[in-house]
Amino acid sequence: MDAITGLATGFSVILTPANLYYCFLGSLIGTLVGVLPGVGPLAALALLMPVTFVLTPVAGMAMLAAIFYGAMYGGSTTSVLVNIPGEAASVVTCLDGHQLARQGRAGAALGIAALGSFFAGTVSLIALTFFAPALTAIAIRFGPPENFALMVLGLVCTLYMITGSAIKGVLMIALGFLAAAIGIDVVNGKERFTFDSIQLTAGIELLAVVIGLFGVSEILANVETLARNTLVADRIRGLWPTREDWRASWKPILRGSGLGFVLGIVPGGGPVTASFMSYALERRIADEPQRFGQGAMEGVAGPEAANNAAVGGSKIPQLSLGIPGNAVTALLLGSLVIHGIQPGPLFMSQRPDLFWGVVASMYVGNVFLLVLNLPLVGLWVQLLRIPYRVLFPLVLLLSVVGTYSANKNLFDLWVMLGFGIAGYVLKKLEYDLAPFVIAFVLAPLLEQSLRQSLVMSPHGALLLAQRPASAALLVVAAVLALLMFRRPAIPKGVPS
Amino acid sequence: MFERVLNLFWIVLGLGAAVHSRSLGITGPSGPESGLFPMLAGLLVAVSGAILLVRRADRARPEWPRGAALLRIGGVIAGLAFIAGFAEHIGFAVASGVTMLVLLRSVERTRWIESLAITAGAVALVLWLFGHVLGMPLPRGPWGW
Repeated sequence: MDAITGLATGFSVILTPANLYYCFLGSLIGTLVGVLPGVGPLAALALLMPVTFVLTPVAGMAMLAAIFYGAMYGGSTTSVLVNIPGEAASVVTCLDGHQLARQGRAGAALGIAALGSFFAGTVSLIALTFFAPALTAIAIRFGPPENFALMVLGLVCTLYMITGSAIKGVLMIALGFLAAAIGIDVVNGKERFTFDSIQLTAGIELLAVVIGLFGVSEILANVETLARNTLVADRIRGLWPTREDWRASWKPILRGSGLGFVLGIVPGGGPVTASFMSYALERRIADEPQRFGQGAMEGVAGPEAANNAAVGGSKIPQLSLGIPGNAVTALLLGSLVIHGIQPGPLFMSQRPDLFWGVVASMYVGNVFLLVLNLPLVGLWVQLLRIPYRVLFPLVLLLSVVGTYSANKNLFDLWVMLGFGIAGYVLKKLEYDLAPFVIAFVLAPLLEQSLRQSLVMSPHGALLLAQRPASAALLVVAAVLALLMFRRPAIPKGVPS
Repeated sequence: MFERVLNLFWIVLGLGAAVHSRSLGITGPSGPESGLFPMLAGLLVAVSGAILLVRRADRARPEWPRGAALLRIGGVIAGLAFIAGFAEHIGFAVASGVTMLVLLRSVERTRWIESLAITAGAVALVLWLFGHVLGMPLPRGPWGW
């Protein structure tokens, strides 16, 4: 099925009242999550994933995807108006966006952010539409050695992009593998690391891990500081940017779209890295770099375009190869598995309705988000008045019910609590938690590919070097691993 | 100090996992066994922990919570532990309601009326959404809810 036919199929799937409703709901929740500080998109996805269990896979995946890209839109509102990033990818938008708001130009900053996000999101979706089938056509020829090498490369790329220490990233990946090994080995039925506990035979529940690491740990961090929101603008006026704003912004939006899309494809890249890179690029090439941090419109336009373009880019390895580039796409892959769908190169040919339905839903969701973020910006401004003491009990309850819902098992709540405390402590010690989740999701596939590869040849692991594609991928991974320790530092303090 | 202890813990954990994995079998007549992958992962944990132990550059300088902040964090943890431990016996609604109320009063120092309203609203919303709309069976107490 070519891209145009596929997309037409996707629109025929998504343009039903029920699917449109869930796509809209996801966009709404995503914007809400992006706007409200203290609730990240990953935690929100984990909390709301149980809701999608009762939906069709298309509706469920469309809703979850919409939460992801909706959060990218909404995050800018809080950055501009409160100087607190609603989510991690909007950290840099605070720098100039809030300065613009203090100068009485909040409307223009929000307008450029929303319109730039819409443009970048649409461009990245067009690229996704044509690029994903091409990549799938290549990946479909891959055997276990190539799949193994590809996943190793993905993990190395993840390490390349994380904040803080690379060794800590390696450790988190290894811990993710170990945690995923708990339970029954599906190949031969042997119990691993269960220590005769019935509760552990089914393994550790993904939802408990993610809600603990990203939901509970976030609550703990928030109740520690008890940050208060201070709005700089009660009413937003002048949302449509002036001609000067456009003149300053159109090139950063174009550059941000391209950069974000490419960084989205690279495992470990994603929206956070894309927004930082775009800001750094714009400041470097600016005629007057000293304006950055003082209210430069380019400092809002570029990063906001980049983080939205990265969402489309990150869907390529997720949907075409079954490889998550970041923790959010890892969770989205996990939700596919929960729906009984095997992600990977065969996904597009086996479930074209779902694949193209999700892609088409992102086009539709992008339009929903433009409407939600421009005319309804006043509503989001009012939401920023909600104190955290009202929010956190609800998030706490959703964490509990979300975790319980997966297996109807209270043991999972203890797992969630354990991972919540661990996540809080590890974040304090500057460990990036995303590699853990990515490794946890990838581990079963990686182990299966490794074991199949070793069985395929009498030469054992040498097979990985004998097959050209797997050898090339492993060489690239090795080179990147060597370069990893000389990589430029990514700013610390950026939540994963 | 804390981070050094943690790094030592990683080494012990990794080596322990690797040793335990050996008992699961590494390779057999039909190829790789169940222990191969976790053994490699365990060794990677141990080696990474050892590198972190000797390298100063990777050490963080965290600000640990003290006083009221520590109490607030302890309160949230205790509240979640209470729900995990008691929801089966007294039901989800009561366990989570009690936890919410205690947390709002002690952690956030919210007024009684406000605390009761927020608790009732939050519990009712979650029960309605998950229990009623999504039909998810949540733990019930001896009183049937």
